[in-house]
Amino acid sequence: MSMIKALSALAAMFLIAACSNNDTQTASAATTSVTPGSVGDFRQNVGDRVFFDTDSSTVREDGRQTLNRQAEWLKKYTNYQITIEGHCDERGTREYNLALGERRANAARQYLIAQGIPAARLKTVSYGKERPDPVGSDEAAWSRNRRAVTALE
Amino acid sequence: MAAFDVNIAPPMKILSPRFALLVALALPTAAAAQRGGDAVYIEDRLNQLQQMLTMMTGQIEQLQHRNASLQQQMEKMQADYEYRIDQLEKGGGGKPGGAAPRPGGLAAAPAAPSGPAPTPAGAAPGGAAGEQLYDEAFKKLQEGDYVAAERGFKTFVQRNPQNKLAGNAQYWLGETYYARRDYNNALTAFAEGYKVYKTSPKGPDNLLKLGITMSNLGRKSDACAVFARFNQDYPRATDLQKRRIEQERQKNSCG
Amino acid sequence: MMLPRRTTMLGGVALAAIGAASTARAQLTIDMTRPSFEPVPIAIVDFKGDAVGAQMAGVIRNNLQNCGLFRVIPSSAYIQKDVDATSPPRFQDWRSVGAAGLVVGQVTSVGGNIKVDFRLWDVVTSQQATGLSFTSQPNNWRRLAHIISDAIYKRVTGEEGYFDTRVAYVSETGPANARVKRIAIMDQDGANNRYITDGKTIALTPRFSPTLQEIVYMAYGENNGPPRVYLQNVDSGRRELLGNFPGMSFAPRFSPDGSKVVMSIAENGRTNIYEMDVRGRQLRRLTNSPAIDTSPCFSNDGSQIVFNSDRGGAQQLYIMSAGGGGERRISFGEGRYATPVWSPRGDFIAFTKISAGGFGIGVMRADGSGERMLANGFLVEGPTWAPNGRVLMFFRQQPSSGGRAGSATLHQVDITGRFERQVPTPTDASDPAWSPLIPQ
Repeated sequence: MSMIKALSALAAMFLIAACSNNDTQTASAATTSVTPGSVGDFRQNVGDRVFFDTDSSTVREDGRQTLNRQAEWLKKYTNYQITIEGHCDERGTREYNLALGERRANAARQYLIAQGIPAARLKTVSYGKERPDPVGSDEAAWSRNRRAVTALE
Repeated sequence: MAAFDVNIAPPMKILSPRFALLVALALPTAAAAQRGGDAVYIEDRLNQLQQMLTMMTGQIEQLQHRNASLQQQMEKMQADYEYRIDQLEKGGGGKPGGAAPRPGGLAAAPAAPSGPAPTPAGAAPGGAAGEQLYDEAFKKLQEGDYVAAERGFKTFVQRNPQNKLAGNAQYWLGETYYARRDYNNALTAFAEGYKVYKTSPKGPDNLLKLGITMSNLGRKSDACAVFARFNQDYPRATDLQKRRIEQERQKNSCG
Repeated sequence: MMLPRRTTMLGGVALAAIGAASTARAQLTIDMTRPSFEPVPIAIVDFKGDAVGAQMAGVIRNNLQNCGLFRVIPSSAYIQKDVDATSPPRFQDWRSVGAAGLVVGQVTSVGGNIKVDFRLWDVVTSQQATGLSFTSQPNNWRRLAHIISDAIYKRVTGEEGYFDTRVAYVSETGPANARVKRIAIMDQDGANNRYITDGKTIALTPRFSPTLQEIVYMAYGENNGPPRVYLQNVDSGRRELLGNFPGMSFAPRFSPDGSKVVMSIAENGRTNIYEMDVRGRQLRRLTNSPAIDTSPCFSNDGSQIVFNSDRGGAQQLYIMSAGGGGERRISFGEGRYATPVWSPRGDFIAFTKISAGGFGIGVMRADGSGERMLANGFLVEGPTWAPNGRVLMFFRQQPSSGGRAGSATLHQVDITGRFERQVPTPTDASDPAWSPLIPQ
């Protein structure tokens, strides 16, 4: 049972990894107009979010690649204040999800710190299940909602 | 902000270089080399350990719960078992109106499972009223009201010396004293039981307790003499009773 | 909000009648704990003497019908149209329409106040079952109607009523990805709705203080400020931050005596439970685990706290002593358990359960035994107890579709799970918190 779960999680991981790679490629090809170093650049060419498994706050392999890119970019452009937002899908209770969102944001933060981003630059905030993106009540939406988003100011 | 003294600082800070080295040494270096930064690697290991700890916490909680449930079940079963044994000893079968299970026992214990069922009322004078007296005294004993139990058993034996429960009552009378550490009276009661109700169902227990009471009074050689009679008097005693005797003989260094 | 009024039983008549009405009790009384029963048929005649009398009768009808224990007989069925509020009705007429109880009342003007007399007649025995008299300011007529409803409920069920209460909840408006969430307060029946927060930032999880003077809740700061716990005076609107901590603080709950607030504080991926002394603002840590400990709730006597934690892998319910320590897990069923709420009677703990089949609202005894589910659905969450410990409120959320948020609605259900009904709210609503009885 847990084996199957693990396998499907793994499969989902590869799928998402594949998708985000495609996204990045098409994005970089199509949007030459984005100013390097801008928030748009960060979102489109680096990727501003990483995804988590159900009830988990472990940064997955696909998320690590995104965070590695983020760290590189953030080291280059040091003028931004960074807030990492933790989010959850709607399949948990409100208060627990607030805490779980914090745990996810914190996991992403620790990873960026380990990649050399100064801790002082990195704030976290949790939105629990209060800010779904995308809106939806199926696994496709939920898997995108279990996320940590690196927001720049 | 005293409450935040125990914050988990970022791992770079919390792990002194020495500790980091220790961790590194303790792990296969090939694996360490595969991973990029040490910090990420340590973070990973901490996460893994955390997850394992969480899993184990959950398992321990469940095992504790199962254990507690089983223990509760066992205690219930034991209470029921004792109740049934007592019913058997009282007459080999249920008596009219006597099927109400002991509190705490399993509810569905309708009389005894087997054996002849002579009606105690016909077995001896005293009849149902006597039985009731016995039951009440026994209940008092269970409740720990030894004074009332003593009075009840004493009255029962006086009024119904021929009742088939008289031997039981005599034994339990001794127990009311024994429980209060009144070993002198206990000795008298158990001795009386051995003398008068040697063949009662409680005979073996009575003799065992007589010996133990003597031992408690410091009369070891008398105790040994009593234990020595056991196999001869009760060759068909249960294994449990025989084992108890053996234990007591060793305890008192009987020859 | 204090109510300047006198409450007097209508003399020895009522008491004497109760004693004499023993044969009728089978009819005008109800045992809620029995596995099945018929709702008590009851007629509530418009109160005489003032226009507000009809409105009061309407409020009472609504309360009794909605609680599931009564069947209100429509006025169109009445045979006796002109019932005097003080002299006995024509019982035969009321028996004919199938009523077991008849409520009549009289409203009179006394100085600037209104005086309300009401009687509950036991139609089966032709006796008065109970009666009360109140004097209060005219604008308190709704509360008087709730207090009368409670008196009828108590006479018929033997349990305290819960109609003279309020509910705090989260009002939800706007699109799903930018939902506006404000704290609102309303009467138990949905009347007198008003907003406590302005909706500029998300506010969640309101809870009443035992006196109903204050509420605590969690709200985000402006400009993406982290969530914090606020204490707000309901009438004056004055609000204070309850401690400014480095991490997010949330899930606040009052102790039964109102002197403390327990809450969760999250920092660096760990969430623990803390207690704050409301007056001195002293903070004390109650749990110390690397996991998520949240949704705390005091036992009715204040000696223990139940909470949920994922220290064992998935959310489960734990009990500890109110000062911290002695933590032990009490939930062992399949699935995750969350948002435990101790009954005001102390007999049950209500919870949200998440399993493969979806979400459910259930109750269990405080030792974790006797679990029973009362409601299920795609997403049901957040039970809260009526002060009599016999009825629960929670919220249901429907799945979203086509990018639109699914509706969120409040519901109440009795502890047998028999009667569930939606509680009307002006907007979508979640996170209800039932108040204690309003102090009189």
